[in-house]
Amino acid sequence: MRVIESWVAPPLQAFLDESGARLTLLMTTAGQVIAQDGFTRSVDVMAAAALGAAINASTDALAELTGAGRFGAVLHQGSKQGLYLRAFDTPRGRWIGLVVYGAESSAGLVQLFFQQLTEALAGAAPAGPGNVPVLAENFEHELNASLRSLFGR
Amino acid sequence: MNSLMETLERVTRVAGIRGAMLVSESDGLVVAEALAEGLEGAAVAALAASLTLRLRRTAQTAGLAVPAVVQLKAETGTLITVPAGDDLLLVAVAERDANLGLARIELKDAATRLAS
Amino acid sequence: MTDPIRDLTARLAADPQSLVFLELGEALRVRGQLGAAYKVARMGTNRYPELAEAHDLLARILADQGDRHAAAEAWKRVLDLSPQHVGALKGLAFLAFRAGDPASALPYLEAALASAPDDEGLATAVTRIRASMEVAARKPEPEPVRQLPGVETFEPFESARGVVLLDAQGLRLAGELAAPDGTEVGDAVAAHLQGVSREAGRAARLLGLGAWQSVSAESPDGHLVVQPPTSATVLLLVRDPRVPVGRLALMADQASRAARAWLERLA
Repeated sequence: MRVIESWVAPPLQAFLDESGARLTLLMTTAGQVIAQDGFTRSVDVMAAAALGAAINASTDALAELTGAGRFGAVLHQGSKQGLYLRAFDTPRGRWIGLVVYGAESSAGLVQLFFQQLTEALAGAAPAGPGNVPVLAENFEHELNASLRSLFGR
Repeated sequence: MNSLMETLERVTRVAGIRGAMLVSESDGLVVAEALAEGLEGAAVAALAASLTLRLRRTAQTAGLAVPAVVQLKAETGTLITVPAGDDLLLVAVAERDANLGLARIELKDAATRLAS
Repeated sequence: MTDPIRDLTARLAADPQSLVFLELGEALRVRGQLGAAYKVARMGTNRYPELAEAHDLLARILADQGDRHAAAEAWKRVLDLSPQHVGALKGLAFLAFRAGDPASALPYLEAALASAPDDEGLATAVTRIRASMEVAARKPEPEPVRQLPGVETFEPFESARGVVLLDAQGLRLAGELAAPDGTEVGDAVAAHLQGVSREAGRAARLLGLGAWQSVSAESPDGHLVVQPPTSATVLLLVRDPRVPVGRLALMADQASRAARAWLERLA
């Protein structure tokens, strides 16, 4: 597991221990990575973050178009793996969680413990500067710094 | 759906049964529920399905057929699961002093009706 | 008159980083709102993982919820952080006593008394346990119970069939298990049982059912029962499907007692 801010680690570790998730990615709605577990290549993290943020944005747009309000989560179930994607509010803004799980877990378990993760993150977030807008020219610098931190380099 | 809810409510009429539900076994998601206050359907579904799957794998490793009943007994209550056909699991949550014998009979009857 | 829990909740909301969560968690626990108390305490241990008092609060809540294993783990964490912590020592003594093992409770109580020599309650508890242990040591051995016909015995435990005992790492300690076709499957089944134990504990805890006591699975060609004879071992009993379910539970209890006695002889 790699995290950008240390306070994310204990709740995320608890989620990983309970859910048995194979891959987990936490990011902002802009696709900026907050934490990851299970990914071995930075290019995969970047791609997953970008796609996850895009799916979330598309889902929000669909919900608005159809008058459904806001959808809670997106679930894709394959024959060997499932994918769970959910946006949630934190004191640091709106984040997205992307979880890939296999036969050792289930959609129900991931959903159950992800809910606990969001509550734990809400409780653990320290007071301080939050919602700092990321300017376009800072984005690539922030992303690279995040990736170095997430892969221990 | 009405007959499904009637089936679940019949199980909950057994003394000491706090709730009954139908769960998608491979997903651990709720299909239908009749639960008393204080029970979280999503949690019951996910945990019951996961435990049942574990027991099933243990039984198979021991050379036994798929279990017809799985029961978790704890200090203040019991969780019972019975397969109901087609990746479905019937689940009941009972208090410590529930009539488990009757609950098991009702669950098996309900599972047979649902599977048919 | 203001509600103290409401006041504490407001104070915590105003300053989430403050330590008022300790007071709030305790107030909720005393009031019996264990679910809410657990959430507050868990949030506190996430935020302050090195604060002994946060883990002590969590342990007390887990003990009230009936999850003895998790409570013991939390109190051991307290002692890692603060080796003389009286609350944790008392808590572990309490768990041992509740498990019917006063001999294991005594060292914790004595350590707590060494840190809090003026605690009259502790001094009384230590005196009583020492006295009861002395009386027990003087009691004559009970007459052996005549074996009823058809009743199984699990002694000597290490050669009991259809029983597997494993340790906390999922490794087989004793017992043998064969599949209906005669294949030895003890080690393979043991590998699954650690996961079963963990799932059972988690399900019982998260569903508010207290500590798990047994898990059983009834199959057309055999019934199996899983129990925790001690906090660090798991026992599996497999029997013919003709054995009634209620009797199977009694047999599992018998096997667990035999396992505990065997483990004590080994120690």
